[in-house]
Amino acid sequence: MRNRLTPYLFVSPAMLLLITFGIFPILVAAVISTTDMNISAFASWSNVDFVGVDNYVTLFGDPDFWQALGNTGLFAVVGVPAIVVLSLATALLLNQSQNWFFRALRSFYFIPAITAIVAVSLVWSYLYNTQFGLFNYLLSLVGAEPVQWLSDPWLSKFSVGLVAVWRGTGLNIIIFLAALQGVPKEYLEAASIDGAGEWRKTFSITIPLLRFAIFFVSVTTTIAWLQFFDEPFVLTDGGPLGATTSVSIFLYKEGFRLNQFGYASAGSVVLFAIIAVITLIQLRLRRADDEY
Amino acid sequence: MKRTATSVLAGIAITGLALGVSGCAAQAPAEAEGPLTVWVMGDSGENFQKLVADSGIDVDVVAIPWDSIDEKLTTAVASGSGPDILEIGLSKLATFAAAGALLPLDDELANYPGLAPENFPAGVAGASTAVDGKIVSIPWSSDTRVLFTRTDILAENGIDAPPATWDELRADAKTLTARGDGQYGYYIPQWDAPLPIEMTWSMGGEVIDADGNVDFDTPEFADAVDLYTGLYADGSVPTNSDFDQQQGFISGIAPMIVSGPYLGKGISDAAPELDGKWQASPLPSGDGGSVSLFAGSNLGVWYNTDQKDASLKLLEYVSQPEQQLAWYGLTGALPTVNAALADATLNSDPNVKVYTDQLATARVLPIVANWDGVVGTGLLNALNAIVLTGADRDSSLATFYDATKGLK
Amino acid sequence: MSTNRDASNRRRSRGLTLSIGIALGIGALITAFPFLWMIATSLKPQRESIDFPPTILPQEPTLEWYQALFTELDFGRYFLNTIIVVAIGFIGLLLMAMAGYAFAKFDFRGRRWMFFLVLATMMIPVQVTMIPTYLILNGMKLTNTLVGIALPTLVSGFSIFLFRQFMTTIPTEMLEAARLDGAGEFRTFWQIVLPMSRPILAVQVVLTFISGWNSFLWPLIIASDQKLYTLSVGLALLNQQLAVNPSLQMAAASVMVIPILIVFIVFQRYVIQGFALSGLK
Repeated sequence: MRNRLTPYLFVSPAMLLLITFGIFPILVAAVISTTDMNISAFASWSNVDFVGVDNYVTLFGDPDFWQALGNTGLFAVVGVPAIVVLSLATALLLNQSQNWFFRALRSFYFIPAITAIVAVSLVWSYLYNTQFGLFNYLLSLVGAEPVQWLSDPWLSKFSVGLVAVWRGTGLNIIIFLAALQGVPKEYLEAASIDGAGEWRKTFSITIPLLRFAIFFVSVTTTIAWLQFFDEPFVLTDGGPLGATTSVSIFLYKEGFRLNQFGYASAGSVVLFAIIAVITLIQLRLRRADDEY
Repeated sequence: MKRTATSVLAGIAITGLALGVSGCAAQAPAEAEGPLTVWVMGDSGENFQKLVADSGIDVDVVAIPWDSIDEKLTTAVASGSGPDILEIGLSKLATFAAAGALLPLDDELANYPGLAPENFPAGVAGASTAVDGKIVSIPWSSDTRVLFTRTDILAENGIDAPPATWDELRADAKTLTARGDGQYGYYIPQWDAPLPIEMTWSMGGEVIDADGNVDFDTPEFADAVDLYTGLYADGSVPTNSDFDQQQGFISGIAPMIVSGPYLGKGISDAAPELDGKWQASPLPSGDGGSVSLFAGSNLGVWYNTDQKDASLKLLEYVSQPEQQLAWYGLTGALPTVNAALADATLNSDPNVKVYTDQLATARVLPIVANWDGVVGTGLLNALNAIVLTGADRDSSLATFYDATKGLK
Repeated sequence: MSTNRDASNRRRSRGLTLSIGIALGIGALITAFPFLWMIATSLKPQRESIDFPPTILPQEPTLEWYQALFTELDFGRYFLNTIIVVAIGFIGLLLMAMAGYAFAKFDFRGRRWMFFLVLATMMIPVQVTMIPTYLILNGMKLTNTLVGIALPTLVSGFSIFLFRQFMTTIPTEMLEAARLDGAGEFRTFWQIVLPMSRPILAVQVVLTFISGWNSFLWPLIIASDQKLYTLSVGLALLNQQLAVNPSLQMAAASVMVIPILIVFIVFQRYVIQGFALSGLK
């Protein structure tokens, strides 16, 4: 006779921590979002008033919020396919051979994923610098004009996005490489005997078998882009003129630079809702796709 | 079923919030024993420890990275558990005083003659940096803006002295830009919100009205905007936001820069071979003279410290002229005590003489809550939109005036 | 005749592998370039690191910045703290494995919505949690402790999810057999489930190591004593508002990256195996 309490004993320590440091804060944010709380609240709680949905109304009328939302959307729409395709393609190529050279290369592709963001910002700022950066120096060798990597409103989006893609592929390559180990060799051999070429085998056999991995990577990558923060924070601080301000950067600035906690909380709740809805849609689409 | 779960969780949330709050309310005011915790900005923690080694007061120094001051201070204020003493930039003073994080010192100063406002330059002491009429901080280190020029490059281009007025600076910058592709005459940091205000002061204007409300809609500010946008229109300044001023100065790409003493120190450290080929000179003047920024940082006492007396004793200790000079020796940050600023040895360096002279007439930014966040950001956004994206000048400025008018 | 075709096939595929290898090699160099450049700069004197045009390899290599990190600055202590934070992280690993196991192998009331909560935590932006989390830790008197620094990130929804995915593949019969032999629940977990989960544990070791090693936000906010700073915070301290020394910063950045790279190289074979067996196919 098994004890009915057993599973609860196993889940409760982790659940307790998750609820305390993950779920509880968003509930607090939801409560705060209905107030006009700012830093003066800490001097006296009488400085806090209930304002209902005012923060939400202001938020949806705030052009800066819409700009941040637009940027985040753009980053996600371009960035998710970029990371998924790039890491899948790299993994497929790395999987072509199991010899020592190919194995050693994996570590190189993983380096960006393990580099601390502080270090990332240092290195890339030097690479991108308009006057003294390496990229513009290389361009100058072929006679090209210097490029304003982080100062041009459109190019800066590309530049911070590129760093995020660079950092984001490593872990996904590993996930795909792992999933590739689950593709039965016999299928591929059978297809070879039938005269299928490499392309054909990749597209008709391998990729369909990687469906779940692709789905998993897409979902986690989408969430990561919707919470996009680190790269613009350290490289451009959301500039120039808000061109690289994501919703997370917007929230951070409202909360920690302007100390408008009520307003920032309203933004957090909206961002959380957006992420939840998009993730649920992805889950629903997948269920419709293969009826598990 | 689902609904009950949600309401239970909401209940927990509210109780938890209340607990978090009550947890930080109670604090005993009695004088405690033990080391004082001092928060200093940047990597000068070790140096501060050295400075106070002989003070007879046990001190624990915590260095806070520049980029993370906002998070650190906000969370400390939120919980009420902070250090005993903290270094705070003048631009954040009003915000954190309004949050009640800083102990008002008016009643204490009488017992600590070393902290009397008369010891410090009038521009930064006492009433000049009081918030709501209360003194909440003591000046600690000072910083100002002066003009740095590469005299060798200027001379090669027929300019025999650093420009003394903004008009001269604009003309010289044009000359220097004509040196060739990728060369500039001057550099405007796109993050430097005080620069347009220094320009306004130099034009003889103010950015707050007689009642202490923010007001930029003045003819002098318009002159400053002409100057700022004019330098861009001439093509005399780089338009990229990631221009490195130290590298730009050393390489000669931007041979004139308005910056602080740290630039002087950076140049001597990184390029000793340029010695004698550059100099500091007073900020260019306009109709209102050469009026620069009094920046730097103050020290405040955390509102619920349990070691008020020891904290004030330490403040008095580091406000002694010899300690202030020792700090200059350790970090290159200028003193704020009059006696130290007038020190002959300090002023034997001609560049330092320029800094200390400039400080005599320099002014602090208006002490307005959220100055950085609202006014500074708004000002830079408006000006940069005009010069970088060609936004309409009148409408950009009008938006900025509306957003800031009447703040206090 | 068929052997002929095989041989030509093999030759063709060897040619293909070779060209893929070259392409991947170039790609790897480009990907790792910022890293290599970081190492190179850390060996340059300060003047050279801001020289223009930039030098790729240091002309006068020097180790002075590495010495400075450990002698003038307190990097030795930061290093030790980082190791402790990582070590505490491994307790979280165990808790997450337990939770993943329960979600995978037990049927209990509330499982569905608890698992939903696990997934929901993956969607919450970090900036939201900062102040409430700090207030909680402050209420628990855990500020200024290494435990407080490690606690907020001790468990993650992502890792619990991965554990659950993997552990569903453990045959239930094995667990039943152990129980029939009279093993207690925890013993079953410890002696059967964990050893069988070695591949996913390898994955999680690397993930835990990465997040603990690079942790920046919580060490900064929770520590009111510099003696508790981690490497990331120490590195950020080197970033002065205006004046910087790139060589010193790059040396500090290298000190941060290299240990983690070694951990990955050691564990990489198991890592890939671990993801493979966690049903990600």
